[in-house]
Amino acid sequence: MGWGDRLAKVYIALIILFIYIPTFFMIALSFKSGAKVSFPIEGFTWDWYVKPPTGYEYSAYISIMHDKNFFTALNNSLFVSIVTALLTCLLVTTTALALRKKIVGRDLLFYLFLLGFIVPGVALGLGVTFMFRLFGIESSLLAVAAIVTVYTVPFGLILMMSRFDPELATYEYAASVLKASPLSVFRRITFPLIIFEVISAAIMGFLLSWGEIIRTQFVMKGMGTLATYIRNELSINPITPKWFAAGTIIAIIAFVGLAIFAYIMSRRVR
Amino acid sequence: MGKALETKELVKWYGKEVLALNKVTFDIDAGDFFVIVGPSGCGKSTLLKIIAGILDYDSGKLYINGVDMKGVPSYKRDVSMMLEMYALFPHMNVFDNVAFGLRMLGKDKSEIEKEVKEALRLVGLAGLEKRMPLELSGGQRQRVALARALVINPSVLLLDEPLSHVDYRLQRKLMEDLKEIHRKVGNTFILTTHVQEHALSLADTVMVMNTGVIEQIGKPEEVYTTPATVFAARFVGEINLFSAQIKSWDGGLCYLTTDIGELKANPKNKNTLPSSGKVAYAIRPEYVKIGEEARLCDNKTEAKLVSYYYFGHYMEYVFEAIGNTKIKVSVPTEKVGNLTLGSTYLLGWSAKDVLLIERPCMIEGLNIEEVIYGK
Amino acid sequence: MSTLQLKMGLTDRVAKYSRYLLLLPGFVLLLLFLLIPLSMIVGISFFERFTVTGPENLTLKNYVAFFTSPQTPVILLNTFGMSLLACLIAFLLGYPMAYFLVFRVKSARVRFFVVSLLLVPFLIDWSVRVVAWLPILGESGIINYALMSWGVIKEPLELLFGRSALLIIWPQTYLLWMIFPSYLALTRIDPDIINAAKVLKAPPHRVFFDITFKLSLPGVVMGFIFVFVSALGDYVTPALWAGGIQTLGLSVANYAANFVWPYAAALSTILVAIALLILYVLLKVVDIKKLVY
Repeated sequence: MGWGDRLAKVYIALIILFIYIPTFFMIALSFKSGAKVSFPIEGFTWDWYVKPPTGYEYSAYISIMHDKNFFTALNNSLFVSIVTALLTCLLVTTTALALRKKIVGRDLLFYLFLLGFIVPGVALGLGVTFMFRLFGIESSLLAVAAIVTVYTVPFGLILMMSRFDPELATYEYAASVLKASPLSVFRRITFPLIIFEVISAAIMGFLLSWGEIIRTQFVMKGMGTLATYIRNELSINPITPKWFAAGTIIAIIAFVGLAIFAYIMSRRVR
Repeated sequence: MGKALETKELVKWYGKEVLALNKVTFDIDAGDFFVIVGPSGCGKSTLLKIIAGILDYDSGKLYINGVDMKGVPSYKRDVSMMLEMYALFPHMNVFDNVAFGLRMLGKDKSEIEKEVKEALRLVGLAGLEKRMPLELSGGQRQRVALARALVINPSVLLLDEPLSHVDYRLQRKLMEDLKEIHRKVGNTFILTTHVQEHALSLADTVMVMNTGVIEQIGKPEEVYTTPATVFAARFVGEINLFSAQIKSWDGGLCYLTTDIGELKANPKNKNTLPSSGKVAYAIRPEYVKIGEEARLCDNKTEAKLVSYYYFGHYMEYVFEAIGNTKIKVSVPTEKVGNLTLGSTYLLGWSAKDVLLIERPCMIEGLNIEEVIYGK
Repeated sequence: MSTLQLKMGLTDRVAKYSRYLLLLPGFVLLLLFLLIPLSMIVGISFFERFTVTGPENLTLKNYVAFFTSPQTPVILLNTFGMSLLACLIAFLLGYPMAYFLVFRVKSARVRFFVVSLLLVPFLIDWSVRVVAWLPILGESGIINYALMSWGVIKEPLELLFGRSALLIIWPQTYLLWMIFPSYLALTRIDPDIINAAKVLKAPPHRVFFDITFKLSLPGVVMGFIFVFVSALGDYVTPALWAGGIQTLGLSVANYAANFVWPYAAALSTILVAIALLILYVLLKVVDIKKLVY
């Protein structure tokens, strides 16, 4: 192993460390007994996770497992993220399949889809607010999912199109010469060959919408997703280790989900 | 004998700039082994894709077994195709690849099993059913692609450059197999290649193409011995070409002024030639004699030996005559004498072996010298 | 087979025009949730009021107000300066990561493992992730705690709540945005091109700058765009962590929160216009379509 490989390993490790620093502190502080988020950590407690509420605390002091709002927001988040994931994978797949062929105005369309990401979230959020106001539409979780999808589609599109097998069209031709009807070509050739990208697009939609806060915050009135709920709590109430406990729970769920996904996908990577 | 395929003035444009097929009209007898030969970009692959229905054409007519193919989707045509880079489905093993077409035709399981087995045996791949395409060698992939195209038993089988991406040994083997399989199954084969030897040795009928037009169609011997244009002559086999001016005719004998002096010709196609004007004077390298033998010929010239190429079963000498005109001479290995580089020898050939070709090529507006010597 | 059966059926017709039909769902979404909202912003920015009944009084007042305000240069500098700096930091951290992943990690499994590892913190709630910097950089965070207990400083440093906060939080939050497209672009480089450069006696730094980096530029530009517009549109971080440093995004949010719709719309329009302008300039330099077609 040359020095270049060593350097690479050290660098990759450092970047991972940098990304994980807040995570480590988050986990450590979620077990802190005092309410103040600071060092040193004096004492270990599960209180922020499971302590039954007395009924007289501020929301910042209710343990996470007993915070009803937290679970409502979690539900909302899951709903928005799953709908976004499905929409993203559907729209990315159809659009990528269409843009793959030489069609009139392909570049323009590609840029138009990119625009969904380029337009700053705060501006799009405002625009959608206007639209709802003018046409008298009530904002809903479904609308949030749709707006977030506008922003997830370009990512998925780039991912999917750059990973398409350049021979995909040739395989389709080969199949149609071998008597496969258009439907059979899609079912037996196209779809099996792009399924990995389709799943990736869905996961990407999920991940991006999970963390999305700017558009959601702007459009959603009242109880929003996990991200907006925690954000609002943090901005009006004192910051307590409770939120680190919440983050830890989310991280554990995420880690397990991602590990399962990574395991399945790694079997496909040669 | 019926026609497997007919085209009338097929035209295909790529965008507004490239005319890939320029009013292509020809037909193919059922059961023929038809080879389309031409340089890359001549439109042969486009033509094949149009026949297969992968590409649409802009105007003209295309009939397969007498049925107009306009608007008929690929999968409803009675053709099958082996694509240039094989396009084996990467997510299916050999068996599933070969069985694909049969499944699409809705055949039942036992029948599919039997036919796939038979097809794989035919191409010499029995026992490799469970392999994935990535685990096969180039030659094996080629054979799977052939089996896959063959197994659905189309009346027309299209083979797009099947010999181009494997080494010489495999080319030879596949050529032998293709001929044998063709004899066995009796379907119409249409094959494209840019290598003239493949065309000559495989084909019942050869079609020479050049930038979207047909230069000549005929039996391999016909195309070789009486090329219709300079382009066809150059593309099929080696040939010596000199630009020439017809001086006079004396019965069957033509007197000409050429780059290397006054020469005579007694061509087979004398009835079609004009009484004067520019023509290409052509002689195949195997008809040119050297030294003693040349003295008896009615065309003679002195030339310096500048290079030679050894091909195993024959030797090709390159001479330089007047005006640096190159003359190639091929001699069977057993007849090779002792020639020294740099020495001057007498070359000669018989007037009856000479070809006179009037047309440079089928595309209008090309100068004969340009076609002979390049631009 | 009769001639009739040979002709195009309904599915064949659908298949023939499928490329256009396939565009439809995506386009409907774009129209409803991107093009119409965008035109609404631009439209309403030219009105004086936006009431329940609709916009009233056509005017240029909003734009005049913005461009004559003494605060405007500061806001613009904050907005674009901080976003660009965040981009730069993300690039300096992220590009080597992508490069090493592609060219130094041989095993596809390890590469896949590392990429998955990068994704995990991403799933943790965004706000919590940001708050988690508090015990590190905060007034009583670990750095100040350590420095004070060693006696290096007497008063805690103001690491959080200020411009420096943006430069820590943004690159960290958006690092993946930089790594990901760079990584994609680097994997698309044919290793033989790099080998050819080596064989032609190019020293390593020339191979890198003349070949590898240049060929990966579409990805880098894409990364820049991703990070840049993410930072531009983010008003939450400046509001919460940068002690209310005024950025364009934050102004939009503030005016919108106070129902000053037309002025918020005008600010948004300017924000979008500048984002598009920068995008246009970047696209002039590099063809990012190379990344996908």
